[in-house]
Amino acid sequence: MALKALDIYKLLPKKNCKECGDPTCLTFAMKLAGGKADVEFCPYLSDEAKSLLGATTRPPIRLVKIGVGERSFGVGEEFVFYRHEKTFYHPPGIIFRLKDAQTAEEIIAVTKRVRDESLIRVGMELRFNGIAIENESGTPERFADAVAAIERTADLPLVLISKNPDALRAALVHCGTYRPLLHAATRANAKEMCALAKQHGCPLAIRSNGLDELAQLAKDCCAEGLQDLVLDLAPVTLGDFVTATTVIRQLAITRTAPELGYPIYLDATLTDQEDAAIALGIVKYASVIVLSPLSQASSKAALTLRQNVYTDPQKPIQMNPGLYRIGSPGKDAPVLLTVNFSLTFFTLEGYLESTRVPSFMLIVDTEGLSVLTAVAAGKLNETLVRDAIKKFDVENEVSHRKLIIPGYASPLSGRIEEATGWKVQVGPRDAADIGEYLHEEWK
Amino acid sequence: MPTVTFLPSYRKIDVERGCTILDAAQRAGLNVNVICGGQGKCGKCVMFVQAGKTSFDLQKYFRFFNEDEIRRGACLACVTSVDGDIQVTIPESSLIQEQKILITREDLPIEFRPSVRKFYVQLQPPSLADPSPDLSRLLWGIQKSGGPVAEKMYAPLEVLREIPGILRHSDWKVTGTIALVPGGYRLIDLQENDTAMRLYGAAVDLGSTTIVVYLWDLVTGKVVGIASNYNKQISCGEDILARVNFARKNGLAKLQALAVESINTALTSAADNAGIDREDIYEVVIAGNTVMTHMLLGIDPAYMIAEPYVPVVRRALSVAASRIGIACNQNCGLFAFPAVSDFIGGDIIADILACGMAEREEISLMIDIGTNFEVVLGNREWMFSCAGAAGPALEGGEVLFGMRANPGAIEKVTIDPTTLAPAYTTINSAKPRGITGSGLIDLLAEMLVAGIIDRTGRINTGIENDRVRKGDHFPEFVVVWERETAIGKDIVITENDIKNLIMSKASVHAACVTLMKEAGVTRHEIATIYFAGAFGNYLDKKNATIIGIIPEIGIDHVRNIGNGAVAGANMALINRSKRKTLDEIAYKIAYIELNAEPSFMEEYTSSAFLPHTDLTLFPAVQEELEATRNHGKE
Amino acid sequence: MTYDVNFGWTGTIGNVLLGATKADGGSREVSYRIGGGTTLPFLEKPVGVKSPLIAFEICDNPVYWSPIIRNYCGDLLDDLSGWTKAADKQYGVDLIRLYLTSTKQRNFSEMAAVGRAVETVLSSTGLPLVIEGSNEPRIDSEVFQKCGETGQGERLLLGTAEASRYRSIAAAALAYDHSVIAQSPIDINLAKQLNILLREIGVRHDHIVIDPYTGTLGYGFEYSYSAMERIRYSALKGDVDLAMPMICSAIDALTVKEVREADPVIQDEMAVTWEFYTGLAAAVAGAEILCVRHPKTIPMLRAALEGMQAGAGRAGTAGGQ
Repeated sequence: MALKALDIYKLLPKKNCKECGDPTCLTFAMKLAGGKADVEFCPYLSDEAKSLLGATTRPPIRLVKIGVGERSFGVGEEFVFYRHEKTFYHPPGIIFRLKDAQTAEEIIAVTKRVRDESLIRVGMELRFNGIAIENESGTPERFADAVAAIERTADLPLVLISKNPDALRAALVHCGTYRPLLHAATRANAKEMCALAKQHGCPLAIRSNGLDELAQLAKDCCAEGLQDLVLDLAPVTLGDFVTATTVIRQLAITRTAPELGYPIYLDATLTDQEDAAIALGIVKYASVIVLSPLSQASSKAALTLRQNVYTDPQKPIQMNPGLYRIGSPGKDAPVLLTVNFSLTFFTLEGYLESTRVPSFMLIVDTEGLSVLTAVAAGKLNETLVRDAIKKFDVENEVSHRKLIIPGYASPLSGRIEEATGWKVQVGPRDAADIGEYLHEEWK
Repeated sequence: MPTVTFLPSYRKIDVERGCTILDAAQRAGLNVNVICGGQGKCGKCVMFVQAGKTSFDLQKYFRFFNEDEIRRGACLACVTSVDGDIQVTIPESSLIQEQKILITREDLPIEFRPSVRKFYVQLQPPSLADPSPDLSRLLWGIQKSGGPVAEKMYAPLEVLREIPGILRHSDWKVTGTIALVPGGYRLIDLQENDTAMRLYGAAVDLGSTTIVVYLWDLVTGKVVGIASNYNKQISCGEDILARVNFARKNGLAKLQALAVESINTALTSAADNAGIDREDIYEVVIAGNTVMTHMLLGIDPAYMIAEPYVPVVRRALSVAASRIGIACNQNCGLFAFPAVSDFIGGDIIADILACGMAEREEISLMIDIGTNFEVVLGNREWMFSCAGAAGPALEGGEVLFGMRANPGAIEKVTIDPTTLAPAYTTINSAKPRGITGSGLIDLLAEMLVAGIIDRTGRINTGIENDRVRKGDHFPEFVVVWERETAIGKDIVITENDIKNLIMSKASVHAACVTLMKEAGVTRHEIATIYFAGAFGNYLDKKNATIIGIIPEIGIDHVRNIGNGAVAGANMALINRSKRKTLDEIAYKIAYIELNAEPSFMEEYTSSAFLPHTDLTLFPAVQEELEATRNHGKE
Repeated sequence: MTYDVNFGWTGTIGNVLLGATKADGGSREVSYRIGGGTTLPFLEKPVGVKSPLIAFEICDNPVYWSPIIRNYCGDLLDDLSGWTKAADKQYGVDLIRLYLTSTKQRNFSEMAAVGRAVETVLSSTGLPLVIEGSNEPRIDSEVFQKCGETGQGERLLLGTAEASRYRSIAAAALAYDHSVIAQSPIDINLAKQLNILLREIGVRHDHIVIDPYTGTLGYGFEYSYSAMERIRYSALKGDVDLAMPMICSAIDALTVKEVREADPVIQDEMAVTWEFYTGLAAAVAGAEILCVRHPKTIPMLRAALEGMQAGAGRAGTAGGQ
């Protein structure tokens, strides 16, 4: 558990010297507790206190970077078991799996897809992260050729899958300086794999379906001087995966087993339920998910789920305040007020679109709070509405002076009328009822 | 100049053409109700023009009036200007009513060590044998009479100029007034003959609603007079924000003058009652919130109310009282309490001083509730503070029949669990007109215990009782039937009122919990909870715990310190060493911005339940509720 | 060395019985006991408990149903009995959830029709039922009364109680011994508050299923997921007012933009994928009743849940205590 400000304060010199940049030791302690300051800022801290404080700020799961350049990504460096405790920081890489036995055309086509395809959701660009290529052919040459074809097509992070160090060595000729993830070291080939990874400065996946053996492997690799490891639990069933990954995460986060403090690798193709494996991998701590090129439906669902789970639960995604158009609203179109919580926005937008009534959505800045909480916290108030009407020039967009407010904002109706001079109509509480409401109440 | 005559009092005032009626009324000394600060928004300053010429845009404001009112000449005083001699009737509802104001006489077991002292000295006139200068002669004399060491005293130029004349005119028998100031001891006044027994000081609570003054005899260490009155700034806006907005529109000078005038009025009445001369007041100590203190000193408060919320000054200030117009001795010093932030001001530092939490090892929680609330948690080593908006519900605002502590306000309520009939007491035992904050809290607790509302505050409309009814907009509970009231209608509390109250109480409790979590302190570690401010004094501690305004620590450990601001000011006035600790206290307090605290909303939601979503935090309340429910079932 | 995880749980998720067989005085062919968990979902296999269950949602007035289902199921939607039978025999679900959408009509007052709809479904299947009553406070009391009465003895799960309207549904549940769905808007505190309110008017904890409200994938699921995780966590930490099984129904899954506007060729696949991802992730977070509307989602979810149970408890390293 993170230390409280007061616990930290007790370790500080209490001189209030201001040398850390804060006015008092107590405020410095508050910043330390919130992770907004570094212990090194305090020049008078004893080494003992420093190590006590420092130990709680070092990430319990190592950050491992895969690939180089624009599309490279980091995984690990997570601090919590539940995302509600703080947030999850590094979304898993979604990696399309190919085999060197496939034709060059197939390989290049998939590579281009990963290179080019993206999904824009809530103002964010969501993408796949890289290519995994398996040495199915068994020959180092074919493997190297496939890797070369990929490299010619795109600068994407790679996962090189082969039991054979020679094959990997051949492939690394083409991509050795681009930090591909090598897969995988097992008890049988650990020494050679480590040497290879070390030589090229690559991250290395280690593989075993026994936790004890995996931990031992990790220790061995560490002893060889390798730090950038990724754990492959080689799960046989979905249940195995969930169980093992839960255990590893808990042991790592609590620092009970620091030797397991590495990101987790999941090959979804090994189950016959790939969609299920992907969904589980995303919610249950996988950091590198290798899968068959996804269908359009699964792509959208997987990218959306990943975006959902890796959103900071304490910082709701916000929309820009403004006047949004649904269809091509005319001067007599209804104006619907709501908050800038993205979920509220998209839900209402969706239902409004399906009503086919052209309308305006007036979005006000409630700092991302939902209607209910914004009303309760006073963030949604008449001044805000009045200013928004002015700022977004609503009076010139429509000829009427009627504003539909969310059902949960009904206590504010009088005050909004007073502040704006607009007639306020209280809409439904549930956005799903907006169609019915407009058809009956908006004439 | 046109003359404005106000009816029914026939108060007259001459004003320039174009002056608003509101301005005229204020200049005529009438306390007009203006919540919006004179922007034509609140519709509270309704007046009726009986005769004469005015300019008023009726179209723009007609929504405030009905036809009958328009026929009778209704206007909003704040946006109506005087074009010639006029007669205006002010309905009583547009004037601020005199309210019950809290004045407590806390026993103050404080060592008496004022910072101003007087010394009567009889000096040897100079001679050729002893030609030392007048000043040295005087200071030596004071030192010999028990004053400070002569070398440490100095006289400002204005006093120096007076010295030769006064010494000789009084035949070398004079009284010197010495004040302890940061640089040493300052001779602030010199009077002929023995006036040493005439030395007074005033402690002032400069509240945004009321001003309270304690007048002390600084020779005997006794309180000689107490007075209080409304803060006249209220005519420029009811709340702080409205006043800062008023200040922004070139209104700072007016606000400054009104603050001084309010203090002077209170000082005068305290002095008159005590039969003393204001000229004998040599020191004034003022505890006020940060904005009020800025305004009193004529410092622009505008930058405090918008991000990044920066006050101009935080530390304690000493200035000459006469420079801002305080009516007392022209050499009187003024000491203003320091602040922590824009929201934690000198009034809160005074609360902390008054309850003594900054001197003890054990942990205290101090809560000052008004429209805004401030919470401080800590001990002599560390302190956390926060502030927030409680909403006006706890003071009777935003509640249909809520009212301030005026005569006729219901202040205590109990409900018979079987008949659901309330029993109540009102202020001055007048016929009920409304319900005060303390009455509302009683109601909430009693309704919960009687099962009229559930823990979210929703009224159980399934109850078969005349007092429980659906209401026009919300379900409601009849507290007093029409025939018993002074207002000719049923006094009710609606589900919406209850919701507002719960929101207010949830903010306060959530703030307490946020500080406790920041510090890692549980309710078991809190030795005492202090309530400061008028609200706390009338509050039923048990009911406050039942509805969960404060953490449950046992009502024996909850204390009301009453007006902590004035109590703290008193201490700082009569004991100079207390004053020295103030900056240190203010400095020690860490301020937590609730809006930036992600967990605050969470605490708020869990606090928006009676008493709380986590019932293990309120074991005694829970036990009692279960006992009464079970009893009801038998 | 063997790794052992100690979460320090002290609580158990309470059991709720769904449906009553002849032995229990009802007419259902099966009944289910859900709940009983002592650790995180899928880390153990509680004995005598079938969960998570898959519920298929149908309604008595399909005007309010998604056109995607209308396209897929066709005229079946107009035949409540046939739809129910298909769900039971063809689709292979565990539970049927009936939405009384007819009550959405303006000034609805045909209580007899409500009774008939419930009766039709009861007589067309031997599976336990979830019944969603009205959405209109004016008629709540009568509708719930009617549902409760019609299903007397069948241990229905009645929906949906909210903090602002729970008394009439609770009254019906208490009178006829049914269970209640308690819904709150994606907030652990509000969920707990409602459970306390229900308890205080006599609804026992073993008659409550929590609905933390499921925002569908991409539309609030991030909040629902954590709300479920937190509820499960608090229950296992010993908070009895949250120790009930949860239900997940992403009612928006078929109306969100991604599905609504999908290319007709893959619209069914989109709908199924959306329901599937939402349902499976919710199950991992702790939901024990997963509601779906598209028949094709059922086998996919079923297979995944079986795959998850295949490992449950086997690791032996992740047990509760």
